[in-house]
Amino acid sequence: MKRTTRILTILMFVFLYIPMAVLIVASFNTGKDLTKFEGFTLGQYAALFRDPDLLRLLGNSLLIAILSTAFSVVFGTVAAVGVHNLKPKLRKAALSLTNIPMTNPDIVTGVSLSLLFIFVGGQLLRQRESLTFWTLLIAHITFSLPYVILNVMPKLHQMDNSLTDAAMDLGCTPIQSFFKVTLPEIMPGIAAGGIMAFTMSLDDFVISYFVTGMDFVTLPVEIYTYTKKPIHPKIYAMFTLLFLLIFVLMVTMNLLQLRSDKKKKETRVKAVKPAVRVLRRVCAVVLILCIVGGCCFLLLQPKGDTITLNVYNWGMNIADGTDGTLDIIAAFEEKYPNIRVQYATYESNEVMYSKLKNGGITVDVIIPSDYMIARMIDEDMLLELNFDNIPNFRHIDEEFRNNDFDPENKYSVPYTWGTVGILYNTKYVDQADVTGWELLWNEKYADKILMIDNSRDAFGIAQYLLGYDVNTTDKAELQACADKLAEQKPVLQQYVMDQIYSIMQNEEAWIAPYYAGDSMLMMEENEDLAFYLPVDQGFNLFIDAMCIPTCCREKEAAELFIDFLCDPEISGANMDYICYASPISEAREYMEEYLAESEVIYPSSEILAAGTNYQFLPGETSRYVENLFMGVRGSVSEGSDNFGLILTLVIVAVVVVPPVLRVGKKLRKRAKKKSA
Amino acid sequence: MKKNNSLLLSTPYIIWMLLFTLIPLGVVAFYAFTDPATGEFTLENMNALSAYLPVLWESIYYALISALICLLLGYPVAYYIAHRTPAVQKFLHMLVMLPMCMSFLLRTLAWVGLLQDTGLINRFLDWIGIGALPLIRTPGAVILGMVYNYLPYMILPLYSTIVKIDGRLIEAAEDLGCNGVQTFGRVVLPLSTPGIFTGITMVFVPAVSTFYISQKLGGTDTVLIGDVIERLFKQGQNQNLGAALSLVLMALVFVCTDIMNRFGGSSDEEGGVIV
Repeated sequence: MKRTTRILTILMFVFLYIPMAVLIVASFNTGKDLTKFEGFTLGQYAALFRDPDLLRLLGNSLLIAILSTAFSVVFGTVAAVGVHNLKPKLRKAALSLTNIPMTNPDIVTGVSLSLLFIFVGGQLLRQRESLTFWTLLIAHITFSLPYVILNVMPKLHQMDNSLTDAAMDLGCTPIQSFFKVTLPEIMPGIAAGGIMAFTMSLDDFVISYFVTGMDFVTLPVEIYTYTKKPIHPKIYAMFTLLFLLIFVLMVTMNLLQLRSDKKKKETRVKAVKPAVRVLRRVCAVVLILCIVGGCCFLLLQPKGDTITLNVYNWGMNIADGTDGTLDIIAAFEEKYPNIRVQYATYESNEVMYSKLKNGGITVDVIIPSDYMIARMIDEDMLLELNFDNIPNFRHIDEEFRNNDFDPENKYSVPYTWGTVGILYNTKYVDQADVTGWELLWNEKYADKILMIDNSRDAFGIAQYLLGYDVNTTDKAELQACADKLAEQKPVLQQYVMDQIYSIMQNEEAWIAPYYAGDSMLMMEENEDLAFYLPVDQGFNLFIDAMCIPTCCREKEAAELFIDFLCDPEISGANMDYICYASPISEAREYMEEYLAESEVIYPSSEILAAGTNYQFLPGETSRYVENLFMGVRGSVSEGSDNFGLILTLVIVAVVVVPPVLRVGKKLRKRAKKKSA
Repeated sequence: MKKNNSLLLSTPYIIWMLLFTLIPLGVVAFYAFTDPATGEFTLENMNALSAYLPVLWESIYYALISALICLLLGYPVAYYIAHRTPAVQKFLHMLVMLPMCMSFLLRTLAWVGLLQDTGLINRFLDWIGIGALPLIRTPGAVILGMVYNYLPYMILPLYSTIVKIDGRLIEAAEDLGCNGVQTFGRVVLPLSTPGIFTGITMVFVPAVSTFYISQKLGGTDTVLIGDVIERLFKQGQNQNLGAALSLVLMALVFVCTDIMNRFGGSSDEEGGVIV
């Protein structure tokens, strides 16, 4: 019995620590892949400290964690003392409030807070930007507080109340007695609560993910969006360091406590040793410094002359200086030193649209695709551009002006154009099978096929295959497409957007529909990949264009940015990195030759003639398609009419009835007592 | 500083918690019962939820299985830790907590690296001649991810109840002729039920609402309620339906914790928090 539990325990620890070992080993890897160790290096650690963006994210996470912990430790301790001395009934109520964030799933807490901030900030206060640093801080404090309270309360319970009374009898004021008697007694609880709050805040992803706006992003939220590139090993290096830091913190905490426990055994009451006193003071000073530092950091954040421009773009859709390309944002900031670009990415038009529609954020420049621009124009979500500020618009080719989605060309400036085709691995896929979109339904390659994870492109593929119009609003046709997509599900490995990169490059999957430029990038990494356009059935020809949404704050700076990107030389350098086609023919001259001549990026005009554009769909149709797609993805069936009422009644019953019953029980008890 | 000050000290906290926990839940309910376009009261969102029942059942199923596996795996570990010397106990306790300090996202990604078709485990299996197995994108992988991530939440409450069991009770049982299995079944297990129920709740709640684990380790047919909520908010263009679904999830968790509290005996008012 004893031996089995021991072996089980050891196995359990192995199980718990295997993924950690994988990550730590990966931080010393020269290669980028998590699973292929290519050589030992410490270079990732050096690279980490040379990456200002990563350090800024880490700084953000630490700032939030330190501030929220400091606040909840102080506030929580005071509150715990207060709650402890409350009348039992009130205390119970306060504790059930404390338990709400503990028992609620994180996703519900996140959703509820984000709705609260958007509702109060956006609809009641008419603030344009309601999801900021401060709301994130409030969210973190709210879920940190219970950890402090629930760790401090038991210590207060254990404490002998006569101690404080004795202190006051001996002439202490209540405040003195708190600091001299109560505080040292409950210190272990405060420390434990503080450490838990700190680690929870540092690692929190779910709640932050829902509450984060545009300009203050923490590390875990950013990592969630790092799906396009394989995660760089320097991130593993950073987390290895963080892990070590917390490890050391916990070990010292444990050792200190062990020592103090031993001492307590030796002498129950003894004056605090000078060394310990010094240590305590040092801790206090460090804590205060952290808080003051944090506040200073906040106040000193570039304001005044510097303008922050929020750019929201597709993932990996601007040259960032890696692989010898031009760092476009840096070049822009150099040209306009008073503008600082805050850059964030999305993985589909729908994600971007939802983020803007949900509200609570400020965005200055977005780069949606054609059909989404049409929809946003229809819903008054875009501002008219002032073309006097965009002189470089003259470089845009005639054929890319006055597009269907923006007939008078008031709202958009084309950024790139491209096609959607099939990316496949020639090593595994028989060339004879590459005949059209039906390749994505081919059972021969079951479980090695990926499908694009956004409703418009997925439905588009079904429409090309079935020979329907891609801009149809006919519900029967759309339903037929949904059925076709559902039919595909058994052969699919998964639905992906940006995650496609590592999956296709690793040969984890062999076939996927995707955008030409991204496909080109993947083909550069893996020579066996090839790109195919089903010319006979038709394919999507898209234009991504720069727009300014109505939630913009810096319109002029945004127009400067758009203008900058329309410079042929800049555009050419940009296309070198993102591998799409530029709507500026002059830019082609500045591109690397093999890209400028690639059939994938610039297909011949005969092929292009077979492509079609997605056009505006009414909001109702978009929602209908989105719902159908949700159904395809998640085995969701039709809704029914009376269900809502029943469900509401059930919810009311389970949430309201138990407390009422409890009160009833009490009343009955009381009545019994009286009668007895 | 007794009674008068206590109100003064606790009121700001109570107000804070009302503002940022209870009222937001009210806002969720408000969104759940309003029409996205017109902002009028409607039951449409709730009606639409019947379509998501299969997903809800599936999430509950996965979370329950994970909680039970966690219990089976966690109990021996907690029992073992609880019977060490205090110093060793502290150390092992810390070892259980420690993995939670490394990013949850990265640890899950590490499992992707281990389990995928071209991953470490399959390459090893290939090397010893067994050949690659379909590990990732199976229900098993999702459950593994849940068990891995939430196992500490099971071990810690179990440990803290087992360690409180009076050793003399066990001795008494043995003196009265119980063998090891009987002592365990009649003394230790019943006395540790509060820990069992707390542990199950603490694993069940995050597992039933996760979306990252199922997105990374699950296949096309493992869509959980958390995935749907995330999708509705982040790309489905329907916050109101998402709010309705969140409301149901909240009610579900409320019922579960209520049941668990009732079975676990009236746990003291501090609530069953870890540590």
